[in-house]
This record gives sequence, C-alpha cells and structure tokens, in this order.
Amino acid sequence: MQHKRNSSSLCTPHEHALSRRVMLGTMAGGAASMAFGGLATPAVAEALRQKEKQVLFIWLDGGISQLESWDPKPNTSFGGPFRSVPTSVKGVHFCELMQRTAKHMDKLAVIRSLCTHDNAHSSGVARIQRGDPKNRGVVYPYLGSAFAKLLGPTSSKLPPYVWIKPGSGGFKAEHAGFLGPKYGALAFGDGQPPDNLLRHESISEEADTQRNELREAINRRYAVQRRKVSTEASTAVFDTAQQLMKRQDLFDATTFSAADIQRYGTHDLGRHTLIARKMLEAGVRFVNVTSYGWDTHGDHFNGSASLIPKFDQAFSAIIEDLHASGMLENVLVVAISEFGRTPRINGHIGRDHWPEAWSTVMAGCGIKRGIVSGSTNEQGTWVKDNPYDIGHVFHTMFKALGIDSIDTEYDNGGQPLPIAHEDMQSITEVLA
Amino acid sequence: MLTLRSQSGSRQACVVVLLACTSFIGATQAIGAQLPLHARIDALIEAGAKGQPMATAAEDAEFLRRVYLDFTGSIPSADVAEKFFADQNGDKRSKLIHELASGDSFSQRLADLFHIMLMERRGDSASWQQYLLASFKANKPWNQLAQEILSPDARNEQTRASAFFYTRRLEKVGEQETDYPGLTRDVGRLFLGIDLQCAQCHNHLTVDDYKQADFQGLFAFYQNIAIHSSEFPAIAEKPTVKKIEFASVFNKKPKETGPRVPTLPEEREIAIPVFEKGKEFMMPADTKTKLPGVLAFSPLEQLSKQLPTAENGAFARNMANRLWFLMMGRGLVDPLDLHHSGNPPSHPQLLELLAKEFAAHGYDVKWMIRELALTKTYQRSSILPSGSEPKVDRFTVALERRLSYEQLLQSMLTASGQLDMVMTKDRAGDKPLPAYEDLRKKFAASFAAETKEAEVHVDHTLKAALFVRNDVAFLALLQPRAGNLIQKLLDEKDDAKLAHQLYLSVLTRKPLPEETAAVAAFLKSYGEQRATATRDLAWALLTSSEFMVNH
Repeated sequence: MQHKRNSSSLCTPHEHALSRRVMLGTMAGGAASMAFGGLATPAVAEALRQKEKQVLFIWLDGGISQLESWDPKPNTSFGGPFRSVPTSVKGVHFCELMQRTAKHMDKLAVIRSLCTHDNAHSSGVARIQRGDPKNRGVVYPYLGSAFAKLLGPTSSKLPPYVWIKPGSGGFKAEHAGFLGPKYGALAFGDGQPPDNLLRHESISEEADTQRNELREAINRRYAVQRRKVSTEASTAVFDTAQQLMKRQDLFDATTFSAADIQRYGTHDLGRHTLIARKMLEAGVRFVNVTSYGWDTHGDHFNGSASLIPKFDQAFSAIIEDLHASGMLENVLVVAISEFGRTPRINGHIGRDHWPEAWSTVMAGCGIKRGIVSGSTNEQGTWVKDNPYDIGHVFHTMFKALGIDSIDTEYDNGGQPLPIAHEDMQSITEVLA
Repeated sequence: MLTLRSQSGSRQACVVVLLACTSFIGATQAIGAQLPLHARIDALIEAGAKGQPMATAAEDAEFLRRVYLDFTGSIPSADVAEKFFADQNGDKRSKLIHELASGDSFSQRLADLFHIMLMERRGDSASWQQYLLASFKANKPWNQLAQEILSPDARNEQTRASAFFYTRRLEKVGEQETDYPGLTRDVGRLFLGIDLQCAQCHNHLTVDDYKQADFQGLFAFYQNIAIHSSEFPAIAEKPTVKKIEFASVFNKKPKETGPRVPTLPEEREIAIPVFEKGKEFMMPADTKTKLPGVLAFSPLEQLSKQLPTAENGAFARNMANRLWFLMMGRGLVDPLDLHHSGNPPSHPQLLELLAKEFAAHGYDVKWMIRELALTKTYQRSSILPSGSEPKVDRFTVALERRLSYEQLLQSMLTASGQLDMVMTKDRAGDKPLPAYEDLRKKFAASFAAETKEAEVHVDHTLKAALFVRNDVAFLALLQPRAGNLIQKLLDEKDDAKLAHQLYLSVLTRKPLPEETAAVAAFLKSYGEQRATATRDLAWALLTSSEFMVNH
C-alpha cells in the first residue's frame, strides 16, 4: 500500500476514505513539491486570470440555522417562533429575520438540500472549507488558497486571498495545505493592516525600489545554479509585499460614507463586509469575511433574533452594491457555514449541529438568479430531493468562475490531485 | 563505457545497474574494513547514487558558512572567514569540525535544535532551556535525555524541567479537552518516528504497520497523568489500575491493552500490578514542598525504561534519521515521522548503519553530528552539477536548508557586527538586553513556524518580507554604531575594499569581480548619499536568498 500522510490535527473516518488514484512518488509535503507545485494546465490558468473574476466568501462560523434564514418551516413542530416572509421571487419565502435579503432573492440562488454528514466543528470547518476530496495523505487547501492557486492575484497584484475576521490578523500559512505557505491567507484582524506595512520613513520610495532591484540581482545570481525552490518563493512574497505597501488606503476606514456604514451595520459583520467591498473593488481575488458565534446550542431563538438580522443587513447591502455597480457579473458571492442546525429543539431551547439537511446561498458570477435548488421535507429534518455534498458546491463554484473542475488538477510535485471531489459534479440548475 | 553509453536506452540502464553493483560491492567491503563511520556513509551514498550526478566538493566559503551555521548557529565573522581561507593546511576542515564540535556554542545550538524539534514552537520556559543547555554541555546521551523527558523526576532539581515537554502539551486550550491523543501522537512521532494519529479509532487505513492497538498501547501510558501545579514544570500521575478498553469504529469489537511501546512486540505489554488500597504510592504527594507523589507502579517510569533502549530499534533509527535530516536537509525516511514498511528509507543499509553506530556509541549526539559533518556527502556543494536537478533523496548535491529564526538572528547580528547586543549584560545580571529581547521576539514572530508545526522546510512569508523591509528594530541593525559593520563600511573610502568587507561579513565569501564592480556602481549612483547607499547594499545582501538559507 502506498504511503500517505495526514497532518491535519484531527482524525475522523471521512478523512480516510480510500483513494482510487495511485499516488505518484512520495514527495507529498516536501519543500520541493510545494514550490514546484503548479497547475497541470498553466495555459488555462493564464486565460482565466485575465477575466478578473473574484469571490466573496462569507463564513458564518458555528453554523447558521437554515430554519431561521433560507429554509423556514413555520407552523411545524420544529419550526420555532418566527414567521416566514415572501421574497422578491414568487413562491420563495425566507425567515422573517431576513427581510432585507428577501428583497434581493431575485439575484440569489438558494440551495436548500445540503447534506454533508459531518457534525463536528473542528472537522466540519476543514471539510467544508478545504473541500477535502478524499484523503490522499495530503492536506487540501482552504477555498481561498485554492483560488489563490487556481486564479492567482488579479492584475492588481494584491494578495489573492484576504481574510477579514474579528480578533487578530496575520499570515495564515496553514490554510494553504499542500500548496505551500505562499498561498496562505492574509488575515486582517478587525480590518487592520498587517504589521510593517508602512515603508519606514528613513527610506525613500526611490531608495526602496533601488535596494529591491539590487536584492533581486543578487538573488538571480544565486539562483542560476541552485534548485528553484527558495528564490522563486521568496521573490513572490517580496513582490506581494511591494504591491500591498502601495495600497495603504485599503485600511483607511475614514473613506467610507456615513450612509454606507449605517447600511452595512455598525457591528463587526457589517463593518467587515464593507471592508470586503473595498477589497473587491481594489482587486483582491478572494475575500473571506468570517463571523463567529453562530453555534447557538442554547437560547437559540433570542440568539437568532440578534445574529441573523446582522447578517441580513450586511449581506443585503453588499448584494445591492455589487449589483448596482455591475460587479456582481464578475464576483461570485457565497454565504455558508460548516453545517446547519438541528430541526429538533434541545432542552436548552437550542438547536444543535445538523449536517444532514441545510442551506447555502450563492450569487453573482456564473450563477443563475432567483432560483431555489433542492428541498427538505415538511419538517425540515431531511433532504427531500437533490441532496448535495460540499463537493457539489466546490464544483459549482469552480464552474461558475469558468474553471473546468473535472479537467483541472493540482500538480503536487508530480502527483496529480483533483481540485474537487471526483465522484461529484456541479449543481447545474444553479449555474447560469 | 563511452561506447556503450551511445547505444540504446536499455543498454544504458544495464550499465548504470552494473556500475551501481560494482560500487555497491566496494561499499560492503569498506564496511567490513571498519573504516570510520563517515567514510562508510560516503561509500553507501556513492553506491546509492543511481546515476544521479554528483556535485563537486563545496569550496571553502560554502563549507565554512555551512559548518558554522550547523555547529554554532551563526555564520562566521569576517575575521574567522579570512583566517580560514588563508589557512593552507590540508586537514583544516576536519580540524575545524573537531574544534567546533567541542565548543560551547555547539551545546547551545543543540539545545536550540532539540527545543525546536521537541516543542514544535509551543513556546518556551527558562528552566527547560537551561535543562537542555546543561544536558548538551555535559553531552548527555540521547537515551538518558529521553528517559528524563519521558519520566520526569520532580525530586531531581537538575532534570525536573524536562517535564515541560508534557506540561505544555497538557495545558488546556480554551474549551477543548486536554489533548491526550495529541500527546500520545507526539511521543510516537518524536521518539519513535511513527505518526499514529490516524490509528486512534481504527487500524491505520493506508499504513499497514500502524495498528489501533499501537496507538492505544502508547495512549495507555498517559491515561492518568495531569499537570501538577508547582513553581516548576511538573506532572502528577494517578494510579493505573486497569487496562484501557477500545474498539475500532468499523467493527466495534471490544479490545483492551495495557501500556505498551508500539514498536516493541505485543508480549512486552506492561502488566498492571494490583496494590492494596493505600499502598499505591511509594511516596505520597508532599503538601509542604508541593512535590507530586511517587507511585509504586508508574507507567511513565516503565515507558522510560522500555522505550529508549537498544531492544527498541525504532528509538535509535528515529534519532539517527532526524540527525541526518538536520545535517543533510532531508531524512533518509521522509517524512521524519512516517517510518513504516511501506515507506522505506531512501538508503536502508545506511539508516541501519547509522542507528547501529549511534546506539553503539552510547547515543552520543555530538559524536554523530560530527561524523555526519566529516562526510563528503555533507561537504558537497549545493551548486547543481550543470544542467540537472538530481533527485533530492540521493544526496548527491547538498540541499539548501531552512535557517531557524535563532540562526537567522545570530547570523544577522554577526554579519552586522552587533553581537554585543546579546553579549552585554544589563545591570540585573543574566537577563538579555531589552533591545535584543525585542528583536528576538520579532524574529520569532516573522520566521518561526506556526505553533505545533514541525519546522522542516524553508518557508517564505509575506510577514517576513514586510518585516525585513520595514520593521524599525530590524532596520536599526543597519544604522551606523561604533564598531558595527555599517560604521566600518562608512569609514572605508575604497569601494573595492568596502565590497570585500561587505561580502565577507554578510555572505562569508569574497565578492566576484563583477560584484565588486556592481557595488562601486551602486555607490556611485548615490553620489554624496554614500551612507544611504551603504545601508541599502547591506540590506540587499542581508535579505537575499543566499543569506537566508543554509546552502
């Protein structure tokens, strides 16, 4: 049996699903393989890069309740106290906590039949965000890193994968998995810039350019007779640093209008979504906006009444803005969690983890507008038709951005690896 | 040979095989003749080259830089380099290796290395650092060190800080459970070279050798330990009275095991003795001194008696492989913690030889590293033989290696002529100077691997790039101060001499004629702003790939 390595911090059976593919070589995880890791089809990547497609990925950590958002079941035994409201698409209802987003249903595609099987946060987050198409002994990249690899930076040359989150920021190399640290996330904790972004006052812009050119010349000489590994990677990070340094304005919150601040909301999710808009406008390829605290095991309904309107406010505002500016044509928007919440209401008036029947929403680039795909049964307990796993969502996202998710593979130092689950396909009914 | 080479591909392959066989016989003969270990290593590497082109021997400059980084944790100063280049003695390399191997810096370097290896950037403790340093100063054998770490003795003031290996891992993080499986996994990875993580809930699905009973057997040693609160790192053990029960998630068949070292046969499972109530402790916990109790039957003590032994071949193989990795840039078994029959070593005979000799030499880490440094394999150039990138697992070309942040910091200070930042003691005595501590923390944040990540590959991060470009504390290294490199360069009016001093101080080599010319041109382009030009020249060299890796 071929050797494999699993360096994820958790071990759950789904990680071990056996590979049908023969693993080539034993270089997985090696420095060489990381740095040489390229796309099997570089020409395709190049063609895609020019179209400047972007992604806004909203992650509601802990698990938003499908019943209090996209898939309400009022007046059923598990439905909870909230009513449903009609949306801008006839026959489609959202929970009343989603009134503002309901007005934009005509721009959205709601998938109500996710069935992803994993109900643990720790493995669930990785399973959803890494896509995890079967364990091949390598750690798959988070979606943002995947897009950083597949599409690279846009012509803005800004870091391709930016993560806006509450709390601390920094460089999250571990998101990149086998792709290697340079595809990791650049996290802006609370939207703040990373350390050392400002050019030191003692160094003029001209001197900065000159010293970099000198450094590059020294590196070129060194690289001539050496393995390409170290110089290539270090050149790339220096280039990105250069671009980022030129865009200090991205971190200047004073440029937002008072009206926008009010529209998006003065809470974290609102502010971060507004910053995300700016990042998208500046040309960041993939922006992940993360909101924490959705794991409402207790007092779920009061929790939802406070949480969901915040999401509703920020989400409806950005959909509205991206639509108005025409950016929705090129920006794919996805809002998702690691799972949904149990229809059954527990003893603490809470809803627990429920990966068996939940919802996600997509909009924008490559996505059909105003449609609902899949459904759950009367009580919302199980998927009634068209169950979709996370692999289907991955295929759909890739397809929506024009990436052939079947023929495109990662090249992990000679080992071909699929970018999405081989045994799944895209959800064609939501693709434009 | 030449004529054969021009013939068909299959004939060529035959020739290669034949050649390999001949040199292989040579190698076995060499082993029989009991040459020093380093010569036997070279014979096996040459025999295993499989036609991959060999790099030439490293030049003095490359050798000197490498050996200093490996033995002292820093590049050499310009003076050291100057002297070494001028030395005409034919045996100057081995002389230097012997000298460095018996120096104090080597002990500090090993303390750093083992800290990084064993703690994987989980943070630090002064007593743990002192413990490691004292251990390597005394050249404590690896089996003894392992024994002390695996079964820390709170009553031994000299060694008890070894418990830090456990206590840091037993700390609770947020709402998560104490990570006993993680601790079990790490003991397997770091002391035996086996990653049993995926054998916790069932037999490993892709590694036939790793069984659930292996994980559980090792896990059984740890079922009753916890952090003991005291002023120094300590753990307390509660009595172990029964085996642990487990079942595969697939067949749910109930099984049980007592404590067992997973690389030893099943019959070496440790029997759990029964004690009368009240007799479980040989020495009860001491409320006055706050020392934990001593059990009559301590699974950890049993572990420390069984695991680091000659009977357990995996113990020596793991460390032999890890020391090889440290010096050669890649393990004979790669990844380092996946020793199993489906992932054989790149050079099986060599690993056996290293493990055997390591054990035979009393697990002497310093001796082992010295022998590795004496090999031609270690002393080869990292410059590729023309037009090829030989396979990394043949070791025919020196592999570029990551510098730890500790190495980088020391090297930056050496290069910029500011070691006094570390050496000078402040009024309080031993404490490092605040400016140094500030810099050290920043280097750690920019260049160390993420917490819990094995620090094995060269990673380049945006964070580090921004740090060396813009950080105030880093750029301060490039300000002129009496006696530092920048001041010396500013005092030098001759461009060629400036280039010489700069290259020797930073890159441990003399500049090529075109580099001397480039330096002069750069200075000239800045006209009267010679100070700025000098600073930026030094910056460009200090942040170059050539400086940032051990090549």
